[in-house]
Amino acid sequence: MAGEKKQGLQLLDFWVSPFGQRCRIALDEKGLSYEYLEQDLANKSELLLRANPVHKKIPVLLHAGRPVCESLIIVQYLDEAFPATPTLLPAGDPYARAQARFWADYVDKKLYDCGTRLWKLKGDGHAQARTEMVEILRTLEGALGEGRFFGGEAFGFVDVALVPFTSWFLTYERFGDLSVEKECPKLAAWAKRCAERPSVAKNLYPPEKVYEFICGMKKRFGIE
Amino acid sequence: MEKSSSENAIPPAAAPLKLFGSWASSYTHRVQLALRLKGLEFDYVEEDLGNKSAELLRHNPVHKKVPVLVHGGRALPESDIILQYLDDAWPETRPLLPADAFDRALARFWCHFADDKLGPAVGAVFASTGEDQGAAVRQVHDNLALLEAELRDGAFRGRRFFGGDEVGLLDVVLGCGSYWLAVFEDVTGVRLVDADAFPRFHAWLRDFEALDEVRETIPAVDRLLEYARGLRHMLLGLAGAAAAPSAEAGPTAAAAPAAGAADIAVDI
Repeated sequence: MAGEKKQGLQLLDFWVSPFGQRCRIALDEKGLSYEYLEQDLANKSELLLRANPVHKKIPVLLHAGRPVCESLIIVQYLDEAFPATPTLLPAGDPYARAQARFWADYVDKKLYDCGTRLWKLKGDGHAQARTEMVEILRTLEGALGEGRFFGGEAFGFVDVALVPFTSWFLTYERFGDLSVEKECPKLAAWAKRCAERPSVAKNLYPPEKVYEFICGMKKRFGIE
Repeated sequence: MEKSSSENAIPPAAAPLKLFGSWASSYTHRVQLALRLKGLEFDYVEEDLGNKSAELLRHNPVHKKVPVLVHGGRALPESDIILQYLDDAWPETRPLLPADAFDRALARFWCHFADDKLGPAVGAVFASTGEDQGAAVRQVHDNLALLEAELRDGAFRGRRFFGGDEVGLLDVVLGCGSYWLAVFEDVTGVRLVDADAFPRFHAWLRDFEALDEVRETIPAVDRLLEYARGLRHMLLGLAGAAAAPSAEAGPTAAAAPAAGAADIAVDI
C-alpha cells in the first residue's frame, strides 16, 4: 500500500503477544498504516536480531528502518512522532500523564508475570498467584473508577496497555478458578466496551485461542 | 496514585514540592538530582524504610515505596515517572528528555535497561559469593559492554554525556546508581568497572560525578561504604563483630527484613 511506503512503518511481532497487540491497536487508533511482519520466535530472523540486539524480543517498530523497542516506548513514540494523530497519552495535563504512565507501568510490573505463574505453578505457588491475580484485577478496577475508560471519556494509554490482556482473562479464570465478572464487574464491563472498538476487535484473538495456546505451551514445557 | 477528579485544579508550577525518600536510595537520588538540575526548590522527608510513615503509605498505597514526590498535594511515585513529570510540568526548565521522538525512545529504552538488567545484575554481584557471584559479574560486564558500545560507535557516540553536552534523563538514571559500583568493588573485592575494558563508561562516570549538582546529591563515600558493608553482612548472613551499620545509616539495615533491603541501596 502507498501508505506504508510513505510512512515506512513496520512491526516485528508475534501473533498472540499482548505487548505486540498494544502496538497494533495504537497504530490503528492513530490511523497509521504499517507492514505487519510475523516473527518465528523459535528461529529468530536476522532482521529481528539486528533490530533488537539487546533483548532479541518483539515487538519492534521500524520507522524508516530505525528500530523502536518495547511496547509502551513504541506507543509513546507513536504519540510523539505523529502529533497530528489522536493522542493516547493525555495531552496538556502533566499529572494525568503521570497517572497514565503509572498504571501502564503497573500492568507491566504485575499482570503478565502473575498470569504466567498462575498457569505454570502448582501448590503454594499457584495459590499465591491466584490471590495476587485477584488483588491486581481489583486494584486496576479501582484505578478505572467510574470512567468509561482509564483516562476518563477517551480511550487512551492505559486502555491500550491493558486491553490485550482481556483475551487472557479466560485463561486466568480457568487456571485460577476465578471469575473476572464476579470479582471485578466494572473491569469486565470496560473490557466489553473496548471490544466494540474496531482497533481492538481487529487485533485481539478470541480468548479460547489464547487458552489453547497456553495449553500448548504447558505441554511443551512438560507441565501437567 | 489517587484518582484526580476533574474538579481539582491543576497545581500551579509554584505549588510546594515535598519529596519522600531514603538517603541511601539511588531512586531517591535521581529525583533530588533532577530537581536540582532544574533549579526547583523542595522539602525533603527522610523515611525509615523499616517503619514507613502513614503519610508515605497514604501517598503510595500501591507500591508503598520511596521516592514519592508530592506537588500541590498530589502524589507522584516511581522515579522515572517523576522525572518525566518534571519535564512536563516545568517545560521552561532545562529538559531531561531530548526533543526528538526517536532520541526520546532511545533514552527511555536505555533507562529501562538500567532498571531491568544492569541494576539487578549489580545487585546480584553484591548479594552473592563464589560461582554465583562470578556469573553475576559476567552479566554486569556484558551489560556495561553494551553501554560502552553505544558510547563508542552507537547511539551516543562522541558524546560527553548520554544527553549530549549536558546531562539528561539517562545520565540521571544511570549515574544515580553507578556510584555504587566503586563502593561494591571495595566491599566485595570484585572489579566491576575496569577503566581499560570500559574506557568511555569510566570517563562518563568520572565527568558525571564531578558535576556540582551530583556532588550535592550523592552521599559521602564513607557513609556509603559503611552502609554497604552492613548490608552485605546481612545479605550473606555473616555473623560477627565486623562493622554493624551505625545509627546514622539508619536502624533499618541491621533489623530490616528482606523487603526493606529491596527498597534501597542494592537497587542501582
